[in-house]
Amino acid sequence: MPEIVRIGPYKPQLLEPERFELLVENNKIIDVNIELGYVHRGIEDLFTKRTYMQNLALAERICGICSGVHTLCYAQTAEGIMDVEVPDRARYLRCIYMELERLHSHYLWFGVLAHTLHEHEVFLKVMTERERIQDLLEYLTGNRINYLINTIGGVRRDITAKKAERILEVLKDMKNLSDYLLMLLDRDGAFVEKTKEVGILPRSIALDVGAVGPTLRGSGVKSDIRRDDPYAAYGELDFEVVTEDEGDVLARTRVRVRETFESIRIIEQALENLPEGEISVKPGEPLEKEEIGRAEAPRGELIYYIRSNGTNIPERVKVRTPSFANNFALTEMLRGDIVQNARLIIESIDPCFACTDRITIIDVNTERKRGLES
Amino acid sequence: MTKKKIAIYRFMSAGCNGCDVQIFECLVPRYKLGDLGVEVVFTPEEANVLAITGSINVKGAEELKMAYRKLKSPKIVIAVGNCAATKGIFSKGYPIVGPPDRIVPVNLYIPGCPPRPQAIVSAIAKALGASLDEKEDYWSTPEGFRGKHKFDAEKCIGCGACAQVCSSDAIEVIDEDGKRLVRINYAQCTFCGFCQDECPTQAIRLTKEYHLSTDDKKMAYIVNEVEMLRCRICSSYYVPSKQIRWAIKRIMEKAAVYRDLRKELEDAMQICPECRRKIVNIRNAKRLLASLAIKTRVS
Repeated sequence: MPEIVRIGPYKPQLLEPERFELLVENNKIIDVNIELGYVHRGIEDLFTKRTYMQNLALAERICGICSGVHTLCYAQTAEGIMDVEVPDRARYLRCIYMELERLHSHYLWFGVLAHTLHEHEVFLKVMTERERIQDLLEYLTGNRINYLINTIGGVRRDITAKKAERILEVLKDMKNLSDYLLMLLDRDGAFVEKTKEVGILPRSIALDVGAVGPTLRGSGVKSDIRRDDPYAAYGELDFEVVTEDEGDVLARTRVRVRETFESIRIIEQALENLPEGEISVKPGEPLEKEEIGRAEAPRGELIYYIRSNGTNIPERVKVRTPSFANNFALTEMLRGDIVQNARLIIESIDPCFACTDRITIIDVNTERKRGLES
Repeated sequence: MTKKKIAIYRFMSAGCNGCDVQIFECLVPRYKLGDLGVEVVFTPEEANVLAITGSINVKGAEELKMAYRKLKSPKIVIAVGNCAATKGIFSKGYPIVGPPDRIVPVNLYIPGCPPRPQAIVSAIAKALGASLDEKEDYWSTPEGFRGKHKFDAEKCIGCGACAQVCSSDAIEVIDEDGKRLVRINYAQCTFCGFCQDECPTQAIRLTKEYHLSTDDKKMAYIVNEVEMLRCRICSSYYVPSKQIRWAIKRIMEKAAVYRDLRKELEDAMQICPECRRKIVNIRNAKRLLASLAIKTRVS
C-alpha cells in the first residue's frame, strides 16, 4: 500500500525550506512531488524597482552561499547592456574571488554531508578549516558572505602583494584539507559505504532533464561554463573539468572534492599572472537592448536575462538558478531508491535547501502519521 | 559559567540563507557556543529558543505560528539578521507579510547582513548574562570591514545622496522645523557601502563595529542633523545651508573666471526653486505677451 512521506518544509540543519512529498511503496520511492515557495521573496519584481547599481546588492541576496557569482553574472549581463569593457586586472581578480567562493561552498557542502552521515569529527574539521577561507574573504572584501566585490565595470577592491601572500598561505592549508577529504573517499569507510550506488543518475537521463554543474559532471558529462563559454579570465587560465562516470552520490562528492584542487590551481595561476592596471571603469548609459549572461556557480550554470528600455532601471530581469535546474534531476534520482536515502540524495545535488529529520510518514488510507525512524 | 540549558530551533522563511550559514558556523568549536550551554536542536518541540532568519512570506506565516506554539517555555525568540528585524532589502517584495515581530513577539534582534558568528554568539552570551573572553584575533574585525555607520557631523552637508543610492531604503531624509535629519536604520541596511562611496564630502563611514544586538529595534538608528536655509521670498525652509555653501564653493572652483559673479550666485541660490520658477515664468509670460502683441499688430 503506497504511503506519502513528507520531508520539510521546515527542517533545522541548513538552508532553505522546501517540501518534498515522496510516494513510497515497500520502502521504495515510486514518485516525488516538490513544492516550492517557502522562500519566495518576489526578487524579479524588486529588480524592476531599483537602479542597475542598487540591484547588485539584491542579486547578491538571491543566495547566501554563492552570493558572489550572482553579482558577477548580473554585472556581466549589465555590462553588455551598458557596453563596458572590463579591465584585464579586474577580470583576473574576479576569477580569484569566485574560486575562493567555490572553495568555501564545496567545503560547506562536505560539512553538511558529514553531518548527515553522523561523522561528527570530519564535520568539525571541515568547518573549522573552512573558517579560514571565511576570514580571508572578510579580510579581502569586508564581509563574510555578501562581499559585494563585483560591480558593473570591474571589481571594488584590489588585491595587494600583502593580501596575495595571505591568500597563498591559506591555500596551502586548504590543499591539505582537500587531500584529507579525498583520502576519506578513497578508503573504505562511512563516506564510501553509505554513498556508493545511492541516488544513481545515468548520463542519458542527466542530459535529458537538463542537470547542471557537479550533478551533471558526476554523471560523466564534461560540461562547465568556465570552459564552454569562458568569461572573466577563465579562457586564459589552465584547469581541468572534473568528471566522474558512476553518477551516484559518491561520484558527485568526488567531483566536488576534486574541483577544490582545480580552484586552488586557478587562484594560484591568476595571482601569478595578475596584470597591472585599473580595477574598474565607469559604466556608460544603458542602451535599449536585451542581454543574456551565464556563469558557472558552485552548483552549476547560472543564467541572467536583462531587458533594458534605456533608463537606469531594468525593465525585466530573469534569473535561472542551478538548483532549480537540478530539481528535476533530483526527481529521477529519488525514484526507485529506498526512503532512508532520501535526505542524502536531496543533499547530494547541493541544493540551496537541505532537508532533514522532520520527516513524517502518512498512511494514505488511514491518514496516520509516524516518524521515519520508528 | 552558567549552565542554563538553551536549545535553539532555527526557522527560516524569506531570506537569502546567509544568516542560516552563519548560525551553522557558530557550531565551530572556536566560537564556544557549547560552553554557554547552547545546543541546536531539530524540532520545535525540543527547543525553548526560536532563532528566526529572513523575513516572513505568505507561506511561512502559518508555519511560524505553528512552530511558536510548539516551542517550550520560556519561548524566547531571536531575530537573526536584518531581514528578520525589518524585512531588510526585501521590504517592497509583494509576498512578504512582514518581519517576524508582526506575527510572534521577538525578544532580541541581532542586526547584520549577515551578522558575524561572533556577533551571534556574543549576543546570546550577553542575553544569558555570561561573558566571553574575546581575545583571539578573529574577534576583531579586519581593516576595510563594513560594519555600523558613523557620521562626521562636521562634513555632512545633508544633501541626501546616500539615501538616493541606498540599496535597501535604509536611509531616510526628513525635513522638519527648519532642520534636516539624515537617518540610517542599520537594522535595514545591507552594509553594501554605496553610501560611503557616493558621499560627496566623505562624511559617512562604515566602521569596524559589529556588535549591534538590541532588544528594541527602534534604537537601531544613526541620525545626523543639519540646519536648513530659508527662502528669501517665501521664507520656507528648502535646502540645508551647508549644501548651498558647498555648491557655491564647487561652482567657484570650476568657474573661476566668473569670480565677480559670486555675490549674484549667492543671491540667486537663496531663493527656493518654487519661487525661482515663478520669477522666470513672469518674465516668460511678459515676453510671450509682447510677441503676441507684435504679431497681432502685423496681421
